[in-house]
Amino acid sequence: MRLRDLVRKEIAELAASRAFWLLLLIVGLLTGQSFITAMNAYAEASGIGGGPAALAQGLSPLDGILTPTLGAYDLAITLLLPFVVIRLIASEKSSDALKLMLQWPASIERQIAAKVLALTAAWIVSLLPFFIALALWRGYGGHLHPAELLNLLAGYTLRFLLTAAIAMAAASLMSGAANAAIVVLAFTIGTWALDFIAAGRGGLLQTLASFTPTATLRGFERGLLRIDVVLVMLILSIFGFAIAANWLHLGRSIKARTAGTAVLSILATLAIGLVVMLVRFSFDISENRRNSFSVSDERALSTINDEFTITVFLSSEDPRMMDFENNVLLKLRRSMPDVTVIYPLAGRSGLFENDARYGTIEYRLGTKSTMSRSTTEEIVLDTIYDLAGIHAPAREGASYPGYPLAKKPTGAQWVFYLLWPVIVVVMWRSTRRSAGGPPAGPPPARRQP
Amino acid sequence: MSLAVAQLSARRGSRQVLTDVSFTAHPGEILGVIGPNGAGKTTLFECVAGLLPYSGTVDNNLLFYVPDAIRPWPDQTVRWTLELTSRMFETTLDETLLHDLDLVALRHATVKSLSKGEAKRLDIAIGLVVPRTVLLLDEPFDGLDLRQTRQVTDLLRRDAANSRTLVLSIHQLSDAARACDRFLLLDHGRSVAEGTLDELTSGVGGLEEVFLALT
Repeated sequence: MRLRDLVRKEIAELAASRAFWLLLLIVGLLTGQSFITAMNAYAEASGIGGGPAALAQGLSPLDGILTPTLGAYDLAITLLLPFVVIRLIASEKSSDALKLMLQWPASIERQIAAKVLALTAAWIVSLLPFFIALALWRGYGGHLHPAELLNLLAGYTLRFLLTAAIAMAAASLMSGAANAAIVVLAFTIGTWALDFIAAGRGGLLQTLASFTPTATLRGFERGLLRIDVVLVMLILSIFGFAIAANWLHLGRSIKARTAGTAVLSILATLAIGLVVMLVRFSFDISENRRNSFSVSDERALSTINDEFTITVFLSSEDPRMMDFENNVLLKLRRSMPDVTVIYPLAGRSGLFENDARYGTIEYRLGTKSTMSRSTTEEIVLDTIYDLAGIHAPAREGASYPGYPLAKKPTGAQWVFYLLWPVIVVVMWRSTRRSAGGPPAGPPPARRQP
Repeated sequence: MSLAVAQLSARRGSRQVLTDVSFTAHPGEILGVIGPNGAGKTTLFECVAGLLPYSGTVDNNLLFYVPDAIRPWPDQTVRWTLELTSRMFETTLDETLLHDLDLVALRHATVKSLSKGEAKRLDIAIGLVVPRTVLLLDEPFDGLDLRQTRQVTDLLRRDAANSRTLVLSIHQLSDAARACDRFLLLDHGRSVAEGTLDELTSGVGGLEEVFLALT
């Protein structure tokens, strides 16, 4: 049986689903709200109406427009997409259509693949409001960096795939749509909790937390493409889809399906473990190289071969910790993949610390060590160079010009708040009409016995 | 092609629901599986179709089973559902089937809007669309009136005459007696009798007497 036929069937099922049309409607409104708010803020920062303009280099479309606009999709993926996906499975389970499908000459794995392809097509359709926002932005004279844009879209697409996989697995495992929705919600809240608890703690917890959906998106929103993150998200997505297929094999005993789940879990854990241990590649896609030290600094750091350890005496909630993590350690890990970072005060509040070392950062390179309190990039780099006994390279000036745009989003509200809802409702009604078909005419002539 | 089932046993949790059930259904024949509520008729069909785990052997992979009282893809139309089934088995939908099952006027109705009898006729159509040599129908007459029951019986007889093997689970003995060539009587998950109406009723009376005597 052709995969195309299966995909067509899934697309028809999506088009018949109220949840999908509701998602399209809401995602358009949310995207419009996010885009218009972001445009207004960007215009103000760019000095519209004679107000003081921010430094041009600080005005990046990635931060100012693309990320906030796509933020609407984070909400839609988290809160709306699971219902669309769960319906695709739960409806067929509850109507017993699944019992017919399991007898089709197409394996359930192939049918799951068709569902994933149809959902991906639906995801692309749901991105239309974002593409409209991009077209408006370009029409207003805004700047786009294609690599940043593609990286950001790749991040959100991976996030969509992961959520779809979790929802599909939950719908296959649980007995009803409501139970499946609760499982997906519990998973989402669990990842939020992990993300919050693990911040700045180091070790396995922080490594795990760096792969939560929220944390992974943060990287893409900074213009960072981490290959390990991409691979882990793909492995988890495939794992979710495989779990879904495994539990839809009604002819297998519960014991056999449980064993299948155990085998899949072991394989996924091994694959993720290997990726986390072995894959350290990342690419700074951002136009302003915000995830990298300057080229000369990267070159200088690459000449340091001794064992390098940094001990951070800061609690995880301390703003200096966040600053150090995002502006220094992230870049340092990219330049020196073998650097070890220790967080001895992780988990403590820091407010009542009597430890004299609180606020300091210890750098140990081979047998030499030094202490510093600064979390500023230039000072940290100079400290490392001093320790390594090498001269700090001459730092070139920033080449990123910045892209201010002092324009209001004229007409955008009409597009997102009126035109888009009208288009969605018209499409929705037309698919319902075509599903209902033309009014019944006279029946064809009856066959003669 | 015939259907041969041997020593089929199945459990639901800790409960044994089928024990060593064996039977054979031949091409061109309609075999009726009868028995009281809870005898294991539906479980037997689901095991034979590979939708429930079982032990034993089922000697035929080219079979298709239509469960009782299903409303598959409730938001789609009758025509869409039948065309989908045809497409999945790489065959074309025979329009005469819509006539034979009085589905012509309903072809654009959504599955969820069908009455019980209409949904049952759709379920039978789904089974007949599938080009498999053995067809298992669970309660094919449930929800049909007398006229429709006779229409469907005629249709199934014509279908069996084209060398299809039909196995029907039937609750109403009068319907079973009218539609089937041979019978398998199940009780408490066990096969208690198998044969033609004459073989089963010789010296006893009617099928109802056999049913009451053996179950």
